[in-house]
Amino acid sequence: MLANVNATRMELLGLRKRVVLATRGHHLLSEKRDEISRQLIGIARKIKPLRKKVEAELLETSRRFMMARASMEPEDIKSSLEIPIRKFSLLVKFSRIMSVEVPELLQKASGEIICYGFSNTSGEMDVALMALDRAFESLIELAEKEKQARLLAVELQMTRRRVNVLEHVLIPDLKSAIRFIFDKLAEAERDNTSRLMKIADIIRA
Amino acid sequence: MFEMIEQPVVNFHLYPSVGEEDWRYCFATAEVRTLGAGMLSKTELLNMANAVDFADAVDLLSSGEYALPARADLAEIENILLVKRSEVRKLACGLMDESIAELFEARDDFANMRLALRRTLTDKELGLDYSGDGNVAAERFEDIFAREDYYSLPFYLAEAVEEAVLGYYQNKDIRQIDYAIDSAHARHNIATAQRLENHFLLELFRMQIDLTNIRTMLRLKFTESQLRDVFLAGGYIDPRRLKHCIEIDYEAIAPLFIASPYYPAIEQGVSYLAAEKSFLKLESCCWEHLEGFLDSTDQISAGIQPVIAYLLKKENEIRTVRLILTAKKNFLDTKLILDRIS
Repeated sequence: MLANVNATRMELLGLRKRVVLATRGHHLLSEKRDEISRQLIGIARKIKPLRKKVEAELLETSRRFMMARASMEPEDIKSSLEIPIRKFSLLVKFSRIMSVEVPELLQKASGEIICYGFSNTSGEMDVALMALDRAFESLIELAEKEKQARLLAVELQMTRRRVNVLEHVLIPDLKSAIRFIFDKLAEAERDNTSRLMKIADIIRA
Repeated sequence: MFEMIEQPVVNFHLYPSVGEEDWRYCFATAEVRTLGAGMLSKTELLNMANAVDFADAVDLLSSGEYALPARADLAEIENILLVKRSEVRKLACGLMDESIAELFEARDDFANMRLALRRTLTDKELGLDYSGDGNVAAERFEDIFAREDYYSLPFYLAEAVEEAVLGYYQNKDIRQIDYAIDSAHARHNIATAQRLENHFLLELFRMQIDLTNIRTMLRLKFTESQLRDVFLAGGYIDPRRLKHCIEIDYEAIAPLFIASPYYPAIEQGVSYLAAEKSFLKLESCCWEHLEGFLDSTDQISAGIQPVIAYLLKKENEIRTVRLILTAKKNFLDTKLILDRIS
């Protein structure tokens, strides 16, 4: 940095302006970093119980499904589950959290989850499908939150790097350049003064 | 198009009579009783359920007819058990009169038809994966349904197809196919038993209809479904009473059946359902009730009754073996297995 510095008054003024700008940027980025961290912690707090809930619901679903599958004849399972009547659509909307674009997943389901008759099927299949239906809602919510958390985490990492660069590299470099120019200019000023004093002595003599 | 079924009246305490002896089935009865002696006992099934792991459960089967490779996966086990089921069905149907054998083989026809019809009406590939144990050859299904030539099927199937197609096109609800086929199947069973004047079959089918209706009622209640006209006709329990049960609390259901033979099954099943949110006990109790009736065929020296009882019990045994092995393979809780089988 110092190698490329022209020790002029103009440069000094320019560098002083850059320091003010960098300090303001550092301040704003620090605030952004803190807010992203706060948002991220909030989302992470929601994710933990949600993940536990989804895991428990999926485990329950598979347990029920195993029992239903084992107690039904294979041809009945095939005909029961081959053609589902529940239709599912997913709408992805984007919103902004601290200028980070995060997805919001809106699900829309229609039709019944139970798509078969009652004579040759097990009641456990109903329970399994209902549990799956419940788990699916939580699963979509979890996917949304995890995606939001991931995007915020990437943004947080980027912001933190910017803050660190400003704090530990750019601002100190600018300050040292200012000091260098200031010293150089002061040195030139002293040089000039002593030269004038010497000339005045010669004239007086 | 089809005849009305009269509402029968319960005139027995727990099980109806199994009918009279038929000495034409002397050899068949002796054969199934010998085979029945080799079936897995309740203790053996409980030991399997309590086995430490899958390998241990398979080990317990190694000395009998279900000897399975210790490292068999579930698909392999499924195939072995399906082959076993086909053998049992073939053997039992071989011992019955042709008309009765046809009745039992029609179960596979109805199942195949359900699959083919669902695929046809939703424009899916018809495929060739139909059960080969029915009266209509599996390979004929694709051809018949591709040409929509339903009248080349036996009359009872053609009639059911017509009804199912009409039901489906009322509101394009795929479940209507199943309701129509289930209803046609139950009607066919009752009508055939009446035509053959076979008291045992008639009672058996009525009992199966009742047990199916009880399960259906509780399933509708549990899932809070708005469906009401899905009960099968021809059983002892009036469907109006079942519809009423859907609207009342769980605790009030069992007392409504106190005078019916199904009271113990309903009482246990409903309380388990309310407590555990599971149908395992109800299904187990329904089978136990039916099994009690099948066991009462022991009092017959010779007849079709023990042959049918053997067929149904053997099919259930195969299902139970599949259930235990699947549960063990997937590390399910032993309590769940015991709730379902004991």
